[in-house]
Amino acid sequence: MTASPTPVTVIGGFLGAGKTTLLNRLLAAGGARYAVLVNDFGDINVDAGLIASHDGKTMSLANGCVCCSIGGGFLETLGSLLDSGQRFDHIVIEASGVGDPWRIAEIAIVEPALRLGRVVVVADATRIGRLINDPRVGDTVRNQFAKCDVVLLSKTDLVDETVHAEAKCAVLSIRPDAVIETTANHVLTKICEIDARRSSDFRADEVEPESPDHEAEFRRWAYRRDGEFDRRRLASAVQELPPQLLRLKGNCRIAGEASPMVFQMVDKAWSLSPTVSDQDSPAAITLVGVGTSNLPPARDLEAILDTALAASATS
Amino acid sequence: MSQDTVVFSARKIVTMNPSRPSATHVAVRDGRIVAVGSRDEMMALGTATRFDDRFAGKVLLPGFVEGHSHIMEGMMWTLPYVGAGDRRSPEGRLVPGITTIDGIIERLRQAGAEMTDPNAPLFAWGFDPLHIGGRKLTRQDLDRVSTTRPVMVVHQSFHISNVNTIVLEQTELLRGSNISGVVQGDDGLASGELQGIAARFRVFRALGGNPLSGNLTPDDVARYAASACVQGVTTITDLHNDLVDHTIELYQSATKQPDFGIRLVPALASVSHTPEQAIAKIASLRERNNDKLHYGIIKLVIDGSIQGFTARLRWPGYHNGAPNGLWYVAPEELPRIVEAYHRAGIQLHIHTNGDEATETALDAIEAAQTAMPRPDHRHTLQHCQMADAAQFRRMKALGVCANLFANHIYYWGDAHYELTMGPERAARLDATGTAQRIGVPFAIHSDAPVTPLGPLFTAWCAVQRTSSSGRVLGRETEALSVEDALAAVTIGAAYTLKLDDKVGSIECGKFADFAVLEDDPLSVPPETLKDIRVWGTIVGGHIKEAPRA
Repeated sequence: MTASPTPVTVIGGFLGAGKTTLLNRLLAAGGARYAVLVNDFGDINVDAGLIASHDGKTMSLANGCVCCSIGGGFLETLGSLLDSGQRFDHIVIEASGVGDPWRIAEIAIVEPALRLGRVVVVADATRIGRLINDPRVGDTVRNQFAKCDVVLLSKTDLVDETVHAEAKCAVLSIRPDAVIETTANHVLTKICEIDARRSSDFRADEVEPESPDHEAEFRRWAYRRDGEFDRRRLASAVQELPPQLLRLKGNCRIAGEASPMVFQMVDKAWSLSPTVSDQDSPAAITLVGVGTSNLPPARDLEAILDTALAASATS
Repeated sequence: MSQDTVVFSARKIVTMNPSRPSATHVAVRDGRIVAVGSRDEMMALGTATRFDDRFAGKVLLPGFVEGHSHIMEGMMWTLPYVGAGDRRSPEGRLVPGITTIDGIIERLRQAGAEMTDPNAPLFAWGFDPLHIGGRKLTRQDLDRVSTTRPVMVVHQSFHISNVNTIVLEQTELLRGSNISGVVQGDDGLASGELQGIAARFRVFRALGGNPLSGNLTPDDVARYAASACVQGVTTITDLHNDLVDHTIELYQSATKQPDFGIRLVPALASVSHTPEQAIAKIASLRERNNDKLHYGIIKLVIDGSIQGFTARLRWPGYHNGAPNGLWYVAPEELPRIVEAYHRAGIQLHIHTNGDEATETALDAIEAAQTAMPRPDHRHTLQHCQMADAAQFRRMKALGVCANLFANHIYYWGDAHYELTMGPERAARLDATGTAQRIGVPFAIHSDAPVTPLGPLFTAWCAVQRTSSSGRVLGRETEALSVEDALAAVTIGAAYTLKLDDKVGSIECGKFADFAVLEDDPLSVPPETLKDIRVWGTIVGGHIKEAPRA
């Protein structure tokens, strides 16, 4: 019997972005059997009562999680974890502060025992705007975002709205299609849970019938319409969407645009970009949303988005 | 217990001690040098003096000091070598370079024929397409070695490899992979060239492990010592080692054997430790030091390699427009790390290939020196290949040494001229002349097994400054005299390791470590410096004839 591949989330981000803070939360939260590979134990700060054993390289926690130090070599550490025969619900790998998280993600693509979940890059809201233009490390920092799925903006509580907006702009200047979240509300835990369950939750090309997810504290919702959005109405409608809707993504048509567009929204930051491939959508507009368990009913959400439809297409 | 004094006579003794640069006799007692001079001058040493004239026709130099090489040199020779340049094995065998694909296939076939298990993977090393006119090795080429046995050829850089089709099939990398490290061939399938960590991870797991990882063996250490002896080296670094307990025990037992032929200088790898851990570890390792084992230095790697386009370059970057390289340590983190070691009194050996990495290292050292001035720290920049005169002036001002990669001029000088650095900067690649004019203490090195271990060859590279294709790079301004090049592989390298009070020259009080040569490097034509035959070494008075096969 072949075991199903273990999902892998890669956490990238420049030195000091807040990767370890997130990992500390994830380890403490437990909830699933996580194996977390970190660059160094120095900043891992787990409640001593939670540590079941610690041999200097591997720390086992009472909640079933383990934390391994990459110190002796990343490939060796990951290899011995896979060889150990232990099964984990999820493997979370911290990339080095100057490393490219995608290089690690590729391992999960080619290794049959693994399956790539999300590549998450943490960006420090207080300085990401400066870092991306830094003469020495700007290229390194920009490259970290090149292939990530989600950007977690950290330290947003330390900045005012202007700097917060500038930080998002900085990320979007590298990746106009970036999904940006703030690190509040244990977002990482949620990302890992989504990854562990299914890999298709958030793929516009794999829309499933709308189904409230009873297993977790998430609800998914799909929005399908013929016709097309009006760009300005869409901008207004997005502002009306409830905060419980964490993300919204999919293909749509925009009045005046010849080709279908990819719409992405996170935390009210949204973007439209040309579709990569000319895929056949069942409907002209197909968006998938993920929200918290108290997401308002589908009809309320649909009513909001319907206001964004171009006049000629409103039914 | 005092032993007899033995006086070795030689055709000539080149001492590297300026106050007595040459002699004919050296007296040795208790593994150390008692006196250097003429036969007459030895007569007053007393009655318990024995004369040994076995080297009367040979030339003695201080045992060579290799300031940058790796224990991996001792591990490579279990695998067939398929590089373009000649190398000498630890058994003293001349392994000719191969410059054609057919030749490589033939050598791999022979190696496969000698293996008993038909399914065991065949690994080989040393290939570099740049040295055979850019000709790549494809999976189809390697299928001519075997279509059933996995074959993997690791490049000279150690970062790229080539595999045959069966490896690609076993790892499912042959088709349908868009990961960045799997190079596509003309047919749209994988070509067999693999780069990067993902393909590496997958292949080594599929083949049952990396033959070059895993625990070091006593044989590996013995081969390293044998290779050193073959090249006249008596003090040698292992300049990047995690120093796990197993390795520590192995080095301990090997160096306590009375006839062990090298003084080993391992550098603890910074990457696998926090500064606090490393400082504590060095303190405990130092207690294990003996005459042949010298712990105390730390290796810090800041960037990658120039020919791999992973070195960090200042503006305008790579000559061919390739994107800038990779940081292995964040520049803003470096000052904290350097200061921690600096304050702890530890000597740092910092790998910087590109000039931006060099600048960043110098900034960090300057900050540490400002925070806590420390006389004679001798932090050393390793490789430091692209430093310009201004950077050497900073090194001088900060008390920093350089260990320059002279062998690069020969092996990748053409690539640097044409692709990476361009003609102007390539002319001051590994700028030994600049270092000397400005007064930066410096050594030159091989980085074995990346390039062959052999200080006479390394010295030849610094004297000739000629690439493998025959192109001369900055000889007028950067070449060393033979004498200065020999100093760089003896007392110069010893200085960068803070061992210049013990080794690196032939003078009273120092260890009796000699390279025994068949000819005098100072009188042969400089272009033949690399061809001088090494008879063997003397280490602490123990005579070691180099193996010949």
